[in-house]
Amino acid sequence: MVQVTRRELLKGAAALGAAAALPDPLLRRADAQTTQKRELIWAQGGDVSKFDPHFSTSSNDIRVSFNIFDNLTSRHPDGKLYPGLATEWKLTAPTTWTFKLRQGVKYHNGDTFTSADAKFSIERTYDPAAKTMVATALTTIDQIEAPDAATLVIHTKKPDPLLPARLAFYGGQIVPSKYVQAFGNDVFNSKPVGTGPVRFVSWVKDDRLVLEANPDYWGGRIDVDRVSVRSIPETAPRIAALLKGEVDIITQLPADQGERVTGNASTRVAGALYAGLYVLAVNSKRPPLDNPLVKQALSMAIDREAIVKELWRGRGVVPNGPIAKGDNHFDPSLPPLAYNPGAARDLLKKAGYKNEEIWIETTVAYVSNDKQMSEAIQGMWKDVGVNVKLEVIEYSVRAQKNREKSFKGVFWSDPTSTLGDPDGMMWRLLGPGGPQDYWRDARWDELGSAARFSVDEKFRAEAYREMTKIFLEHLPWLPVIQPYEDYGIQKYVEWTPNPNQQFELRRFNFKLRRA
Amino acid sequence: MRAVLGFLGAKLLRALVAVWLVTTVVFVVMRLSGDPVPLLLPPDAPTSEIMRVRRELGLDRALPIQYAVFAGNILRGDFGRSIHFREPAFAVVRGYLGATVELGLTSFFLAALVAVPIGVFSAIRRNSLVDHAAMAVALVGQAAPTFYLGILFILLLSLKADLFPTGGRGDVTHLVLPALTLGAFTMASIARLTRSAVLEVLHADYIRTARAKGVAEWVVITKHTLKNAALPIVTITGLQFGTLLGGAVVTETVFAWPGIGRLAIQSIYNRDYPVVQCAVFFSAVMFIVINFAIDAIYGFLDPRARLR
Repeated sequence: MVQVTRRELLKGAAALGAAAALPDPLLRRADAQTTQKRELIWAQGGDVSKFDPHFSTSSNDIRVSFNIFDNLTSRHPDGKLYPGLATEWKLTAPTTWTFKLRQGVKYHNGDTFTSADAKFSIERTYDPAAKTMVATALTTIDQIEAPDAATLVIHTKKPDPLLPARLAFYGGQIVPSKYVQAFGNDVFNSKPVGTGPVRFVSWVKDDRLVLEANPDYWGGRIDVDRVSVRSIPETAPRIAALLKGEVDIITQLPADQGERVTGNASTRVAGALYAGLYVLAVNSKRPPLDNPLVKQALSMAIDREAIVKELWRGRGVVPNGPIAKGDNHFDPSLPPLAYNPGAARDLLKKAGYKNEEIWIETTVAYVSNDKQMSEAIQGMWKDVGVNVKLEVIEYSVRAQKNREKSFKGVFWSDPTSTLGDPDGMMWRLLGPGGPQDYWRDARWDELGSAARFSVDEKFRAEAYREMTKIFLEHLPWLPVIQPYEDYGIQKYVEWTPNPNQQFELRRFNFKLRRA
Repeated sequence: MRAVLGFLGAKLLRALVAVWLVTTVVFVVMRLSGDPVPLLLPPDAPTSEIMRVRRELGLDRALPIQYAVFAGNILRGDFGRSIHFREPAFAVVRGYLGATVELGLTSFFLAALVAVPIGVFSAIRRNSLVDHAAMAVALVGQAAPTFYLGILFILLLSLKADLFPTGGRGDVTHLVLPALTLGAFTMASIARLTRSAVLEVLHADYIRTARAKGVAEWVVITKHTLKNAALPIVTITGLQFGTLLGGAVVTETVFAWPGIGRLAIQSIYNRDYPVVQCAVFFSAVMFIVINFAIDAIYGFLDPRARLR
């Protein structure tokens, strides 16, 4: 038996400690705030699955497709609509929108962009034969005319004030009609051709996607020659790749990891307040959740301030209703949703709550912090005397339950405001026949439908104010937080994230700081 | 000769049955686990849209019919089209095979080349400082979760020491950390097993005889000991190789390595039946081929195995 002396043991431990305390070579490169790089690399949590913009709505895909393709209209990070492939648009009759299209724009393969492409692209989204995955995005459209190469006239079934906004988001990407028709969907998906600021070069699945700058981009050539996209699924290696300078931007930076990025001299955190909310959606058909008083009690028992502070390190705000801050018709005069455990207990008593089980069906990382928030809320509800049960379900089980509307109680949802307007958020999801249609109120439905088809913004404002009031009484969602969506980026990258997860590398929004 | 052919024929038949069983189980389990269509469509897609996509993918048909179509297609080498990628499943899987084989072979040779000498040395110098140190490290290697080990390597060897990239596939430096991480468990198992196998043989009578005859010590070790200790070593090494090829899921995820394990896991989450089936099929075939190879090596190492 070998004897290891105490001195030897201490020597070994000291050596280990010294190795761990070695300074990061990167921390010494404190002045790496300019660059000569001609390539931008961004890393995201999952790989691209499809390039055809009409066949996917997943955030990993649209980050790329919104850069290979352009839309007629474009929503910038300031939340406003700007010209894209359309230079101007007007409501020329209650159900007619006329778009003037940009001239002289070329596709990456040399084809010229015309109104025929715009007509083809939009019709393709809802054409049953095309079988796209965005078939419901633009269904307010009745028919489209292309009277000349520079004009597009869209007739809607009823007045649609939000059509230009709809065209800025998914479904609205304009594809080359000749190329798609000549080569078919599969070739187009594997060798995508658009008008956007970058063009496709190569893709090795789950490894690296390479794009290059479109030198003739109508919005100006972007500041780099190449753009690469890497998929790094785990958070810790993704952050390590950023800190080491292997990548320039990382997506999906968890709130509790922000300090690692800000603590490093050459990187920073860039965040945008999410255009949407994280809510516990409620199956209001299931007793006792069919009783509005019970839902009010559950809402009041959630200490949202604590959730924002502890679980999100302050990277979020407490919602005040169903409309996200930053959207049309958000009412800043409403107070944030209140926390009052005493009142919650009284409400439960008043509701005649008899200790029935209330289920939280939580996912893990379907939305950030979902499981942690569920556990916190479970504790808060127990404190006011709710018999709460927590069950963890897998992502695809959630998708199935969502489709079958078979949730047992409350479940996480991250309603995105696709149009910067309540119509594209609460009405899209909670409206009759919507994916979260578990509750109906005749007046609420009437107002939602009228607001969708009205071009009178004053009327719409009034309608959404009343709908918010009804919502706060019945709580088909328990809004929990409006979080920041954070990215880690190198300090030499000047780029502003978009609240609606659009990831745009265009001149108005992106440049590298040169020495 | 006829006996050998019969032996091989029986083995082959058993292998085919195993592949058939594995693919059938995967087929059934995947279909029981859920519907891929809600994952493909936006959350507000109406039921009519969901039904249309289900019909298009053939998922509206009865399970036995789906199975018959599936089995018929496999016999023709057609694994169907990936639901997620919209291209042939075989082409998708083939795209990932290279990375998996590259990583698997590297970590296998790394593990075997390091572990066997360590195991032998530990056995010969039993209870020396080297033996204790090597076996302590091996124990850590076996006990440390791959996930933890991988991240530790990234933080220490990549981020702090700046020696290797944090992940991704590229030149040979990209291979080092994932191969070490993936090989750690295998290395540890092989080293520990080699040590005990060699120790056992060292106590055998024929070794004592060899030494008594004055045979040089290195000949005793290489010729007499190693060959006799090889049987369990080959077994575990072969089985570990199968694990390396099929079970690299965690390593591939931590190091963003575009391999078949990660593809299989993602495809399970996406309910991409054809890709899962194809990936599992290939993993099963690889395992079986390796088993075949082990059996052949047995025959070479131990004449008694040829008679069985």
